[in-house]
Amino acid sequence: MAETLRVIDFGPSTPLRSQTLWHAIGYGVSAGAPVTLSFARPAAPYVCLGYHRPTDEVDLGYCRANELPVLRRMVGGGPVYLDADQLFFQICLPAAAVPPVRQQALRTLLEPAVAAFRAVGIRAELGEDLEISVDDRKICGHGAGQIDEAVVVCGNLIERFDHDRASRVLSVASPAQREQTLALMRRFVAATPVDPVAFKEAMVRAFGAGLGLDAVPGELTGAESAALVRLDQEFTSDNWLSGPRRPVPGDSTRPRACQVKVRAGVWTLGASHDGTEVAAGVVRGTVAEVRLSDRELNGLARQAERAVTGLPVRAVPRVLATFGDAGRRLAAVFAAASPERLL
Amino acid sequence: MSQPDSVMVAGFLLALDRCYQAETHMWVLPKGRGQVRIGMDALGIETSGALAHLSFVAIGAQLTAGRPFGQLEAAKFVGPLVSPVSGVVLATNAEVGMDAGLAERDPYGAGWLIEASLPEAPAGLAGLLTDPAEITSWFAARIARYRLKGLIAS
Repeated sequence: MAETLRVIDFGPSTPLRSQTLWHAIGYGVSAGAPVTLSFARPAAPYVCLGYHRPTDEVDLGYCRANELPVLRRMVGGGPVYLDADQLFFQICLPAAAVPPVRQQALRTLLEPAVAAFRAVGIRAELGEDLEISVDDRKICGHGAGQIDEAVVVCGNLIERFDHDRASRVLSVASPAQREQTLALMRRFVAATPVDPVAFKEAMVRAFGAGLGLDAVPGELTGAESAALVRLDQEFTSDNWLSGPRRPVPGDSTRPRACQVKVRAGVWTLGASHDGTEVAAGVVRGTVAEVRLSDRELNGLARQAERAVTGLPVRAVPRVLATFGDAGRRLAAVFAAASPERLL
Repeated sequence: MSQPDSVMVAGFLLALDRCYQAETHMWVLPKGRGQVRIGMDALGIETSGALAHLSFVAIGAQLTAGRPFGQLEAAKFVGPLVSPVSGVVLATNAEVGMDAGLAERDPYGAGWLIEASLPEAPAGLAGLLTDPAEITSWFAARIARYRLKGLIAS
């Protein structure tokens, strides 16, 4: 007889509980509770940071003004906007049951989700980048982490996506970068408005079949409920919200870079320093759109922008440097704005 | 980056001047006076995927063998860095904290993770692989096993 896949549908949950409920399951599975597939839908919008991400990646002033709580999760990835139009799922297993190579583990645990999307009529694919997409548009955000002795992989069904708010909650270097972020989100992140009940049923079937487990409705154990109370306190503490300790870069004269990952291979880059400003949209390593400004560019901004549009990111500083002193300043700021792996 | 006491084993660099914890792929380099430097070997780094972030407990924190001393994030997957020894954290590598890729580029050198004092050294190194021949054999077997399972590239 197959072992059990416990299925818990938490339904509409407060922002805090939409995180702490499945973290509590992580501790429960660590202590011997069955493999668990859970669902939750945030009852109100909020913003959530990946475990390692600094809070300054979020526009905290905007979030305060719009009463958007900011929380932190124990899984990876960047800051994201969540609301009631997104149904979240979490699959949680003992760490010992998961392949030791993380990418392999992620692939194994995302494949049933892809099968569920397909079962409800979405042409979903799991890419080499481990993102679930239809053509070149990402349709599911995911993250993974180890909580105590359990591994959890989370994702979502995006029934409707508020691109404006999802881009607005992010901290960016300039209005130009915000415009580019919104444009690329609209282009590369898509909703899949299917029946959520049918999707949940498909997920239960797919994970049951994929893991060889019999799906059984369940609820939190007493120990998980106790963990939930503790996690409710921990996740609202300043210590948790500020995230893990991180070293402070020694060079304070370096331009502060804002890099926004829209989906795998799609970024916006922004930085400004002493009146020199760059904002770029990057798709698969190539500059798709760029805005440049410098007090001494003397009308050459459009020419410089045309010169670097379509170029690989690593070639941009060299080309900008041909535009005199202003170009050299722009080259330095552009390089500072760019992820090292693109240079 | 090559090391003075290192060999290539089936395409992976292996430093032989230190001890290893077989399950976690953590290395421990004794530095004298009961102090050690700790890092992750090239195979452990490879199986983690492209490193995005590394974070560590605070200096002065107690280390317990088999328990986390920090977290590693790769491919949106956050998981524990598991300590191979018990002791007290003396230092954390700020460079690798700012640039996790340093641990990929130089896992046995500049990509070290933390330094610790071991009150019970050398007994604190018990359970680690210490003999170069034994380490090389273990490392080769691990690579072969991961390749057989298709977990790393051939």
